[in-house]
Amino acid sequence: MSFFLQLLFSGVVLGLVYALAALGFVLIYKASRVVNFAQGQFIAIGAFLAYWAMVALGAPFLVAAALALALTALLGFGVERVFLKRMVGQPIISVIMATIGLASLLDGLIHLTPFGAGNFSYPAFLPSGGVTLLGVQVSYPQLLALGFTLAFLALFTWFFQRSTLGIAMRSVADDQMAAMSLGVSVEKVFALAWAAAGLTAAAAGIVVGTIAGLNLDGLVHIGLRVFPVVILGGLDSIPGAVVAGILIGVLENLAAGYLDPFVPGGGTRDVFPFLVLLLVLWFKPHGLFGTEEIERV
Amino acid sequence: MRNPWAQTGNYRTRYEQDASIFATHRELVSLLLFLGFLLVLPQFLSRTQVFILDLILVYSIAVLGLNITTGYAGLINIGQAAFMGVGAYTAALLAPAGLPFYLVLPAAGLTGAFFGYLVGIPSLRVKHLYLAMATLAFQVVFEWTVGHLPLLNQGGAMPLPRVSLLGYEVGFRNHYHFWYYVSFAVLVLLALFFRNLLRTKYGRALVAVRDNDRAADAMGMDPGRTKLFAFALGAFYAGVAGALYAYLSRAVVIEDYTFAVSIKLLAMAIVGGLGTLVGSFLGPAFLELLDVNMEALSNLIKALGFSVAGVDVASALRPLAFGLVIVLFLVFEPRGLYNWWRVVRSYFRTWPFRY
Repeated sequence: MSFFLQLLFSGVVLGLVYALAALGFVLIYKASRVVNFAQGQFIAIGAFLAYWAMVALGAPFLVAAALALALTALLGFGVERVFLKRMVGQPIISVIMATIGLASLLDGLIHLTPFGAGNFSYPAFLPSGGVTLLGVQVSYPQLLALGFTLAFLALFTWFFQRSTLGIAMRSVADDQMAAMSLGVSVEKVFALAWAAAGLTAAAAGIVVGTIAGLNLDGLVHIGLRVFPVVILGGLDSIPGAVVAGILIGVLENLAAGYLDPFVPGGGTRDVFPFLVLLLVLWFKPHGLFGTEEIERV
Repeated sequence: MRNPWAQTGNYRTRYEQDASIFATHRELVSLLLFLGFLLVLPQFLSRTQVFILDLILVYSIAVLGLNITTGYAGLINIGQAAFMGVGAYTAALLAPAGLPFYLVLPAAGLTGAFFGYLVGIPSLRVKHLYLAMATLAFQVVFEWTVGHLPLLNQGGAMPLPRVSLLGYEVGFRNHYHFWYYVSFAVLVLLALFFRNLLRTKYGRALVAVRDNDRAADAMGMDPGRTKLFAFALGAFYAGVAGALYAYLSRAVVIEDYTFAVSIKLLAMAIVGGLGTLVGSFLGPAFLELLDVNMEALSNLIKALGFSVAGVDVASALRPLAFGLVIVLFLVFEPRGLYNWWRVVRSYFRTWPFRY
C-alpha cells in the first residue's frame, strides 16, 4: 500500500509539471490554433535561465525563478511577434513545421551556450531529507515543487476568471469575430498567449529542475510528453490540461512501478503515455473535455 | 502541335496529346540528358562525394512517399522515419538469411506498407492535428519497441552482408558507387510511378479527399479507403528507402530512424515544395548539402580557434541552420524550391522568345 501511495504521490508531482507545460500549449492552441512543438525548448530555456541567475548572479531561488519566468515570457512574446504572427491561418502543416523549425532554432541557440551538454543542478537551498506523510516519503524539493505549482495554477485561474486581460483572452478563444467587434485586440491576445505559454513552460522547467536536476535532453523531452496530455484532456480545454496532466503523470509512474519488473530493459514510462494517446485517438478522439468537431457539408 | 521543339503556349488539341507527360520534345530531351549526366557523374567523384549523393537519392525516395501521404492526401505524417526503420529492420532480418537485395527491397516496402496501413486506421476517424499525433505516437512506440527487442539487437548495430549482382561482387571500393546506381534506378522507377499516380483515378481521389473529404464521399469516392491507400503507399516508399539506407550504411541502428529524422524528412518535403515531384529531389539535396557544409563550417570555426569551453559548435550550428532554413522558407517561400524551378522552367519553355 505504501508503495502504491509513494508512486501516486510522485506521479501527482510529475503530473503537475505536465499540467503546467500542457497549459501553455493549450493557451496557444485555444487562442490561435497554432500547435507549439517548441514547448520543450521553452521549458529548457526557463530552467537554464533560473540556473544562470542563481549561479552567475548569485540570486536567491525566488528572485532567480521570477527573473527566469519574466525572460521566458518575453521570449515567447518576441517569437510570436517575429515568426508566428505570419503563420496564423496558414495550413496546419505549415504551422506545425514553423514551430518545429523554431524548436530547432532554439535548440541550436541553447547549444551555443555551455548548457548544451551535461547535467546541472540548482545550488542546494533546501535541507536534505524530508517529511513522512501517511507513510509516504516526501522530499523538500518535491514539497516546494508541489507548492510552487499549486500557487501558479491558482494564479492562472484567478487571471482567467477575474482579470480583464484573462477574460479578453477567453473571449478570443471562444469567438474571434465577436471578440474583435467588441474591441478586443486579437493580435495582442495572440502575443499574450505566447507570453503566458513561455511563463508556464519556465515554471515547469524550474519545478523539474528542483526535483530531478537539469539536462537539456530530459527537459526538451517533456515538450513531447505534452502531446499525450493535451490529447487526453482535449486540445482546447484548460481544466482538461490540468486533469490529464495529473492523470498521465500518475499512470506513467504506476506503469513504471508495476510493469517495469516484467519488461526486460524497463523504461515503460517512456512509452506508456503514447499508448494512452493511441487509445484515446481510437476511442475518444477529442479527449475528456475537448470540443467535438462537428462538420457540415 | 506545330513545332514539337518549341512552343509558346498550349497547343494541345487531341486527348492523346494531353495525356503525354512532356509538352515538348525539348523537355524530354533535356530530362534524358540530365539523367545521362547523373549516370556518369559518380565516375568523376570521390567515395565520400558519392556517399552524399547516395544519401540524397535515398532520402528523395522517402520524401516522395511523404509527398504522397502529406502532399497529395493531406495526411500529416510525422513518423516517416519509423516506416523507413520498419523497412531497414526487414532488410536486416532478411538479408543475412541469403535473400538477394532485389527481393529484399520490395519485401521491405511491403512490410512498410503494412505498418502504414495499421497506422492509417485512426485516419478513418480523426483528421489534421489528431492524425499527426497518431503518427507521432507510432514513432515513439516504434523506437521503444526496437530498443526492447533482443531480436533487433535492442536498437544496436545489426550488420548487413555485402551483396553481389550477376557475379559482380560489391566490395569496399565500389560499395557507394554500386548503391548509387541501385538507388538511382529505384528512384527513377518510383518517381515515374509517382508522376503517373496523379493521372489515375486513385491519385485523383487522393487530391479530392485532401481538399474536401465529404464532397469526395458524395461523389462516390471512399475517403476511408483512399486515406489508408495513401498511408500504405507512402510507407511503401519509406520502407524501400529504409532498406536502401540499411544496405548503404551496411548496418541498421535505431539512431538513423528517430523522430529527428522524421522531422528532417518533413522539412525536406516542405523546403522542396509539398506535393511536387521535382521538389522531392530539390528538398533532400538542399538540406543534405546544407548539413555537409555546416559540418565543414564548424570544423573551420574550430580550426580558427573560436571555441568556448563546453560548447560544441557542430551540435549548435546544425540545428540552428536547419531551423532557420525551415522558418525562412515558410515565411518567404511557402511553395518551396519547386517554385524557383517553375520560374526558371517557364522562362526556358519559350526561349529564345520572351513570351
